[in-house]
Parts: sequence; structure tokens; C-alpha cells
Amino acid sequence: MSARIAAPVVLGIVMLGLWEAAVRAAGIPSYILPGPILVARTLVADWGTLAPALVVTIEITVAALAAAVVVGGLLAVLFSLSRWLELSLFPYAIILQVTPIVAIAPLIIVWANNVELSLLICAWLVAFFPILSNTILGLRSVDANLLSLFELYGAGRWRTLIHLRLPSALPYFLGGLRISGGLALIGAVVAEFVAGTTGDASGLAYRILESGYQLKIPRMFAALALISATGIVIFLLLTLLSHLLLRHWHESALAPEV
Amino acid sequence: MPLVGVRGVSKVFANGVQALANVSLDVGSGEFLSVLGPSGCGKSTLLRLIAGLIQPSGGTIESSAGRADLGFVFQEPTLMPWATTLANVALPLKLHGLARREREARSAKALGDVGLTGFERAWPRELSGGMKMRVSIARALVTEPRLLLMDEPFAALDEITRHRLNADLLDLWQRTKVTVVFVTHSVFESVFLSQRIAVMAARPGRVLSELSIAVAYPRSAAFRTSAEYAAYCRQASAQLGEAMAA
Repeated sequence: MSARIAAPVVLGIVMLGLWEAAVRAAGIPSYILPGPILVARTLVADWGTLAPALVVTIEITVAALAAAVVVGGLLAVLFSLSRWLELSLFPYAIILQVTPIVAIAPLIIVWANNVELSLLICAWLVAFFPILSNTILGLRSVDANLLSLFELYGAGRWRTLIHLRLPSALPYFLGGLRISGGLALIGAVVAEFVAGTTGDASGLAYRILESGYQLKIPRMFAALALISATGIVIFLLLTLLSHLLLRHWHESALAPEV
Repeated sequence: MPLVGVRGVSKVFANGVQALANVSLDVGSGEFLSVLGPSGCGKSTLLRLIAGLIQPSGGTIESSAGRADLGFVFQEPTLMPWATTLANVALPLKLHGLARREREARSAKALGDVGLTGFERAWPRELSGGMKMRVSIARALVTEPRLLLMDEPFAALDEITRHRLNADLLDLWQRTKVTVVFVTHSVFESVFLSQRIAVMAARPGRVLSELSIAVAYPRSAAFRTSAEYAAYCRQASAQLGEAMAA
């Protein structure tokens, strides 16, 4: 267990050490590539500016992820109940998935007429498809004999959905959720890049843009480091959630036998 | 008056395969009947027809056991992996709308009947194959059905476990007086367990002959090594051989 944490941490420290050594040895100026020690100092010094931006980005990410869970989950359930509905609407879900956010974000910002809402919509658009697709797969991947058993005991479609299909779909849903967590963050950041917002409601992406214009490169790196850290924390939290929900029964969460 | 009367039943599937042709079979109330046959002879299809899971293409099935009086045991334990053993056994009662306290009490008793007291909070993943099959049987019996349908339930288990489960099943049958229709491809198992064996042939599936095992219960392990048992097995094998050649 400790090896699982120690290995990437040790490698990370080694990589950071190499980065710092390379910057110093080659005398690279801080406005081109700051060393990690400078980035860390900037992170502490500029915390007053970066922290509120971090909060804004996290808020949009979490809200978008929640919306993706609700809409993706509900649609998946609806599709499982009505083949006709699925055949009609699924192609549009695919279209939404493959259209690049950078292309449609400006349109959404114009339509929504509200910056935060448009950022939320963009992040949601990026995040909802894995949840939808994986949950549909899960709702269909039900043991055929269990279906027969439910039929034998007179369970209608509704009870079969609640007591059989939804639990069967849980591992698939959680798999989609873990993917969507990171995507929601990416969506929030990219959308803000495209929006180039001004004012108080600014997330980390705006700080990165602003730092770039002002040539405060160490601060830009500090903001990037915060985004990475947020992504890692989101992933770890969702993995923990998966583990808690599945540890008693699903192969993906079971500890290997020693 | 038989509990179930299968009258001239045939079944043709959507892909054109004729699984059963003109099958007639009576299941007496309280009896232990085995359906013996080679793979592909339609024995599982027959069982599902009796359960009402599929409908016959021709002929009728008259049964005084309604859907609520049935228990079904599959070849796989077919447990819900996300639920505890107790919750799995309680499933039929839950689907029938029973209150939790009564569900749990009856399920705990059913688990006791199959020798799994103490395993109520265990997860299916933690149980052995034989134990999972016991849970499946407990679930089938928790509604106190009149008819228990079993589709090669012990085929995937090792011999020692199979023999133990055979003995426990006979024990349960004698105590609960449930009617059992037991599908198997094993001559030894059908002779040990049943009062009557219906031998089926394949392509198309049909009942070729029957065999009565006139041996009293309880049948102990000693029966397996008796001359009587060997004679019946010889006879059943011969009939099965005819069925496979037909």
C-alpha cells in the first residue's frame, strides 16, 4: 500500500529536482521557464490572488459535474426504458460530444448572456457524455438469469429498474464519473480561456491569461500547478467514492488476494 | 390429479429451431421427478415453459401452481453480488411487498434450513460455489412454494459438494413436501434423488420413456453403493442410451 503512494511521489521529487537543476545549470530566465522552487514561492506569495480564482474554477467544475450526473444519469435511465427515445436522441448526444468546445463556446457565451452560466454549460457539455454512455451500457449489462428471476416473481419494469438494473449499472456509472470529473475541470478551464472573462468572477484560466499578458510567468506556472493538483484531487476523491461503493462486491474494487 | 400437466407441448424458437415436439408429462403433487436427457434435448426449455417464463408454440400446460407458488433454481447461483446473503434470500419476499422485519425473519429461517446460519451478512463474493448454491435454494424456498424447479443446479460443483447437496435437498424435500422437478444430465444423480425419471431425447426434444425408482426414503449414502442402485443406474443408462440414439 505504501509502495503505491511512495513510487509516484519519489519519481515526482526526482523530476522536480532535475527540473530545478536544469534551469539553474542552463541559466534559463524565469520569464521563459521558472524552476519549481520559484513557482512554489510565487504560489505562496500570490495566494491571495490565486486562491479566489481556484475557488471559482472548482465551483464551476463541481456544478458542471453535478449537472452531468443528473442529466447523463436521467437520460440513460430514460433511454433504457424507451428504445424509441434512445434511437432518436442518442445521435444528438454524440454530436454534442464530438463538437470541440473551443468552437462552440463563443456561441454559448453569446446565447447565455451570463458568463458563469455559459462556463457551466460548456463544462457540462464536455463532461456529460461518458456518464451517459457508460450508464446506458451498465443498464443493459444485466445478468439474464436475474432478469428471468425478477420476471418470475412478478416484478414490473419499474421495480426491475430500481432493484436490478440500477445496481448492475453502478460500476459502469462510476467508471464514467471518474472520466467526467477530469473532463469537467478541463471544460471549465477551456471555456474560460475562450471567454477571457474580466471582473471578480474569474477562475484560474483568467489568471493564467492575465499572467501571460503581464509576463508574470512564475505566477502562470503556479496557476497551472493548482489546476493539475485540483485534477488529481478530483480523481482521487472519485476513486475513493468508487471504492467505498464497490468494495464488497465488484471485481474492480476488490483487494488482490495475498 | 397432477400438479402440472404438460399436454402435447411443442416449442419453436424465433430462429426456427424446434426445441420441443409434442411433449406430454404429468407432475404429481409432492413427487420428486427428474428430467434426464443429453445436452440440447430441450429439458431447460421444458422447465422454463412450466415456469411460465416462455410460452408454448403448441399444446397446453395446465398447472394448479400459479406464478406465486413457484421456486426456480438455475445452474449458476444467480445471486445479486451487490446484496448480502440475507438480502438475496429475501428478494422474492421484497418483490411481493412484505415488510422488512418479516422478510428478514423468514429469510434467516430459510438460510438455517440450508445450513447457512451465521452467514446472513456475508457477501456472495465471500462464499464458495456450494454455499452460493445453497443460498440460491434458500431463496427459491423462502416463499414456501408448491413447486420447485431446478435446472441442473449442481452440475458446476465438485463431486463431494454435489453429494452433500443431494442429501440436503432430499432432506428439505421430505420436510417441506414441495413438488420438485429436477433437470439433470447425470444418471447417478437422477437415480439417487428421484421417485420417477422422465428420459428425454433430442432433436426434436421429446419424452421417450419413464422409469420409476421404487426405493424408500430417506436414502442414505449407503444406497449409492447398493446393488439396487447399480441396477437402476444400468436401466436408466440404457434408456438414456436409447434416447441419444433416437
